[in-house]
Amino acid sequence: MGEITVAGKKIALDEDGFLINQDDWNHEVAREIAKQVDIAPLDEEQLEIIEFMRNYYKKFNAFPILNYVCKHVDQPKQCVNNEFINPMKAWKIAGLPKLSGVHFVSVDGKNYLMEDFPG
Amino acid sequence: MAIVKVDKLAKSVFQGPSLMTGSYPTKDWMEVPAVFKPGNFAYPAKKEKVEYMNSQQGLSFPNAREWWPEDDDWKLPENWKEIIINGLKDRLDKFRSLKIFMDCCVRCGACADKCHFFLGTGDPKNMPVLRAELLRSVYRNDFTLAGKLLGKMAGAREMTVGVLKEWFMYAYQCTECRRCSVFCPYGIDQAEITMMMREMLHLVGVGINWILEPASNSNRTGNHMGLQPHTFKDNVDFLVDDVENLTGVRVEPTFNRKGAEILFITPSADVFAEPGLYTAMGYLILFHAIGLDYTWSTYASEGGNFGLFTNNQTMKKLNAKMYAEAKRLGVKYIIGGECGHMWRVLHQYMDTMNGPADFLEVPKSPITSTVFDNAASTKMIHISEFTADLIKNNKLNIDKSRNDHVYATWHDSCNTSRGMGLLEEPRYILDNVVNNWVDMPENAIREKTFCCGSGTGLNTDEIMEIRMRGGLPRANAVKYVHERYGVNTLGCVCAIDRATLTSLMNYWVPEVTVAGLTELVGNSLVLEGEQRQELDEGLRTLV
Repeated sequence: MGEITVAGKKIALDEDGFLINQDDWNHEVAREIAKQVDIAPLDEEQLEIIEFMRNYYKKFNAFPILNYVCKHVDQPKQCVNNEFINPMKAWKIAGLPKLSGVHFVSVDGKNYLMEDFPG
Repeated sequence: MAIVKVDKLAKSVFQGPSLMTGSYPTKDWMEVPAVFKPGNFAYPAKKEKVEYMNSQQGLSFPNAREWWPEDDDWKLPENWKEIIINGLKDRLDKFRSLKIFMDCCVRCGACADKCHFFLGTGDPKNMPVLRAELLRSVYRNDFTLAGKLLGKMAGAREMTVGVLKEWFMYAYQCTECRRCSVFCPYGIDQAEITMMMREMLHLVGVGINWILEPASNSNRTGNHMGLQPHTFKDNVDFLVDDVENLTGVRVEPTFNRKGAEILFITPSADVFAEPGLYTAMGYLILFHAIGLDYTWSTYASEGGNFGLFTNNQTMKKLNAKMYAEAKRLGVKYIIGGECGHMWRVLHQYMDTMNGPADFLEVPKSPITSTVFDNAASTKMIHISEFTADLIKNNKLNIDKSRNDHVYATWHDSCNTSRGMGLLEEPRYILDNVVNNWVDMPENAIREKTFCCGSGTGLNTDEIMEIRMRGGLPRANAVKYVHERYGVNTLGCVCAIDRATLTSLMNYWVPEVTVAGLTELVGNSLVLEGEQRQELDEGLRTLV
């Protein structure tokens, strides 16, 4: 992807579409990244999830258990999958960095499941 | 990575040409080069990960660099050949088994069609005998008289860059599952041959990221996911809340508690993502039900050990935290959770690598007083041994009907079945916690179990097609019991399995879900003071 332009300012994304500089993030940038991953426009529920993920990452330095997110934003279980199909899209829109060992796979393009570094 | 439609791939596996060459073999295998293309190789380890590992005490991961399998030039160190040959010499001197395995194969071919990767790819170099020949040919050339004199006539060939690339291709299309070894009249352990090839590739800076990154995380934070202590605890606490929601019972796990009787260690994936989370809820419920005096550790917070898939030194270093933490906390012994390769390390190597653990006691169940003499030396027992003993002594209050939504079959995870002989305990547990379960056909279970196709760190999505091909024999057996008996759940005791079999089932047999054994145990337990809701899908029910 490389780059998006928000309010005339060029913002760098890495090769997989993750925001490179954390300080670049704001709601405008989020909306623009959302467009890049075909989630547009962002609605209230999606924004709640994204804000929660940002706070979670700040505190825990990790990817959250998805139903933990739903519980804390008071949305039904599976909310991240329902709102974003691929939960990694939410992470990208939240402007958070690619994490080692966290990726989602789908064999049908509809149901995305996390495959982590298991033991 | 896009993957072809299921019916097309199924046809191609059975009728199509070799995946490697796109044709039926016409040339001698030595003349067919390994060709890398998107989808047939796992991404190389990132330079900074290799550098990090190399900087750690006791570890050696030299020649860190950027390189790419599709490129002609892998930027190998100038004296790469010398490094490999010396590496082979060292290992032949150190491991008598390797020397024997190099010498004793008579190429009978009994192993050839026993490999899931051969069955799934049709690539002759995935026949275990031929995969071993990739190394054996070099061994003959440099270390045997016949090879030195007769060369190719004696099956010898010189080590070249092409051979090295072939090693990389096929050492990473082997999951070290050892099904072939069951059928080998000499008992040649193909897993050890693959391990040696991978070790030697690391000497010249060739490895894959999906293995080295969790290994480095584990070295840094204690677990593959890189979870810090407060995150690990917070994740378990979330599961405690979920258990309370479902059962009305508040379980109270402790962390890093000195003086606990037992230390519990499981793969970090169990507290990180579905479906492992449900298995972890099962542990919490089970231990609460029997009032076990145990503790989790946020340091020894990983059962898995990706060192097993890189080299001996890494395996030893990553494993050391188990005994170290047991000693620090002053526990009597260790119970280990549901993991496959973890148990190969514990069962076969831990005692001699990092033992003797003479500060621990021979495991004795505080509930039944059963002494686990089988673990007299390692001082660590498998959760299934522990649970089966509880059931046998009638210490659990089980309501089987709670699992009536389940019609199960049993996947013997390679490392626990072939590696440690854990064949009866899981079946005994299933007999007692579910009303409906059935075994797959006999050539696909117990010692002859088929691999998930994604073990030994090959569970990365850039090689999804190869994984689905390698997993086909397993999926095929599941499909059989699904169609015949209506099986809807594939049980297992392995974290890699739980993640990768889920993808495999979604692809080949989407009607079947994957569950850890302790998830089914936990769901069947009647707890004191419970206020259990109607749980149509057991611990997975959305409430």
